[in-house]
Amino acid sequence: MAKALVVCIGNDLVADDAVGYQIYNRLLKHALPEEVRVLLLGVGGMALIEELKGEQLLVVVDAVQLGSPAGTIHVLDWEQIPGNDLRPVSGHGIGVREALQVCRRLYPERAAEDIYLVGIEGSCFDQVGAPLTKGVEDALPDAVSEILRLLETVSSPDAPAD
Amino acid sequence: MAKTINIDPVTRIEGHARILLECNDAGSVEEAFFIVNELRGFERILVGMEAHTLPQITARICGVCPTAHHLASAKALDNAAGVEPPPAGKLMRELMYMGHMIHSHALSLYVLAGPDLVFGLEGAAGTQNIVGMVEKDPELTKKALRMRSLGQKINEVIGGRGIHPVTAIAGGISAKLSDSQFGKLQELTTEAVTLVNELAPVTKELLLKLLDDNPVLLDKLNVPSWYLGTVKGGKLNVYDGDLRAMDENGEIRAEFPTADYAKFLSEKAVSRSYAKEVYLNVDGGEHMYRVSTLARMNVVDGMETPLAQKEFEEFRSRFGRPCHNAILQMYCKLVELVYSCEKASEIMLNPELRGESRVAAQFNGGKGIGHVEAPRGVLIHDYDIDDAGIVRGANMIIATQQNTAAINKSLKEGAVNMLDGNDDEKMLNGLEFVVRCYDPCLACSTHAVGRMELDVEITRGGETVRRIRRDR
Repeated sequence: MAKALVVCIGNDLVADDAVGYQIYNRLLKHALPEEVRVLLLGVGGMALIEELKGEQLLVVVDAVQLGSPAGTIHVLDWEQIPGNDLRPVSGHGIGVREALQVCRRLYPERAAEDIYLVGIEGSCFDQVGAPLTKGVEDALPDAVSEILRLLETVSSPDAPAD
Repeated sequence: MAKTINIDPVTRIEGHARILLECNDAGSVEEAFFIVNELRGFERILVGMEAHTLPQITARICGVCPTAHHLASAKALDNAAGVEPPPAGKLMRELMYMGHMIHSHALSLYVLAGPDLVFGLEGAAGTQNIVGMVEKDPELTKKALRMRSLGQKINEVIGGRGIHPVTAIAGGISAKLSDSQFGKLQELTTEAVTLVNELAPVTKELLLKLLDDNPVLLDKLNVPSWYLGTVKGGKLNVYDGDLRAMDENGEIRAEFPTADYAKFLSEKAVSRSYAKEVYLNVDGGEHMYRVSTLARMNVVDGMETPLAQKEFEEFRSRFGRPCHNAILQMYCKLVELVYSCEKASEIMLNPELRGESRVAAQFNGGKGIGHVEAPRGVLIHDYDIDDAGIVRGANMIIATQQNTAAINKSLKEGAVNMLDGNDDEKMLNGLEFVVRCYDPCLACSTHAVGRMELDVEITRGGETVRRIRRDR
């Protein structure tokens, strides 16, 4: 049983939305401990529930728009993850927090104990074929370090560090 | 003198979509516009790519309807290569697609619209969402989510990959169905049929109660339009068939193969949005039309499978043909959900499913056009491919583009009835409800946490008089 799950969310074809995909690829190059599972999802939403298997730690990696300068890395714990109490108007609008709340209520045995969102502030989300904007590109190494740091809390001491 | 409205893109976090309401001097709504902040440049990046990669690439446009793009693209490539997939290739594609339909309709019907069914329209905002629905009716929600999940799994077993399917190629499906895939599909499709039989009556009861409790829905959201949908032998088929156009009086006015789409559909650039609007050209006129489940239920003569046919007959006897009410998309999705589950299990019984799944395909230069009924309506892919197999041009017609004019009209209907008083909350709820009926495709990257889904801007004489948005 994996103790930690990292779920990266994003569309690799679309500018800053690709940040989750880019981080996913970087994480795969790290020798992560066996108890860490890393996944890529296109959009978060309800599909997230299916992936949870009662891990101790869940880290969701996604582009965010919280109003900070592009490239800002937000590491938010469960209490800090912005809810979307609003009703979505399309299948695109179902959020991470809602999916996890549903999971906790309906499938408590699958819900992770500790949940973090590593959100990278993006600025461009509507250009297909465009690369990451500079601020977001520059933030990649630090974002990966933040994720690895979160994962240390569940890694066994003799696991390879890098 | 009209004032120019500048919305500063730095200080303003963009919403997924915007509604613009133009009022006259008396303050009543004259025009409503639904403006999608849509993805730009997709067709352009396809140019120069190797054609055989398009089913995989185009599936990645969207995390909500990847399989629709995947299959429309594969069909366009079949067409370009002048080949027809063997029976197993077609059946596997269709079965994969039934999985996608089940997933998409379950999501739309239960996760998006479900709270309206469970709470009615007057519930307190903040609890009226999927999380509140779980508290109110955990058993229904659990079944609904299981339904979505079964569809997703059927899609995955054939599509080969979680998010974006990869197995449909020019000429069919990349590999024939294995024993282990077949075994899994048997379990999944059997459970799907059992589950939909439990869900359908409960869902229908909730829906009819919603309509009874809110007579305004059936009274006010009738927007007459033309309809376009796919039929095969007169019956519904979402994977294959010809396009049938019906006018607002219910007369069938044209039926044509995909390859002729450009003769019947005209795309128009509009000043307010990057998305082009599309109109039906029939008998010299240019007609506003709708696609999606409601359009399909209007144009078809019947359903191929028995339980869906029964639901379809009930729908038609209650609401007539054509039915112009956008709210009834929910009912139509239920009929199609039943159909997709039944059809999936029917395909499993077809011995041809286990045959060879592909024929060789090669591109000799020319056009390739293909279409499917995406969950939200007709989706057309049209490519120019050169004799080296390189894409030289691409055009796509997606569902929301075709519905934009009707969404505008529905929003106007809704807004006219809701703008009185200054109750922003009520107004937003109402307008969101209208948009949700269409479950539009928005910019596909828009899951980003923190993004607003909808802004409403009200103008008078070109000047913004109110902007309504929710505070986070």
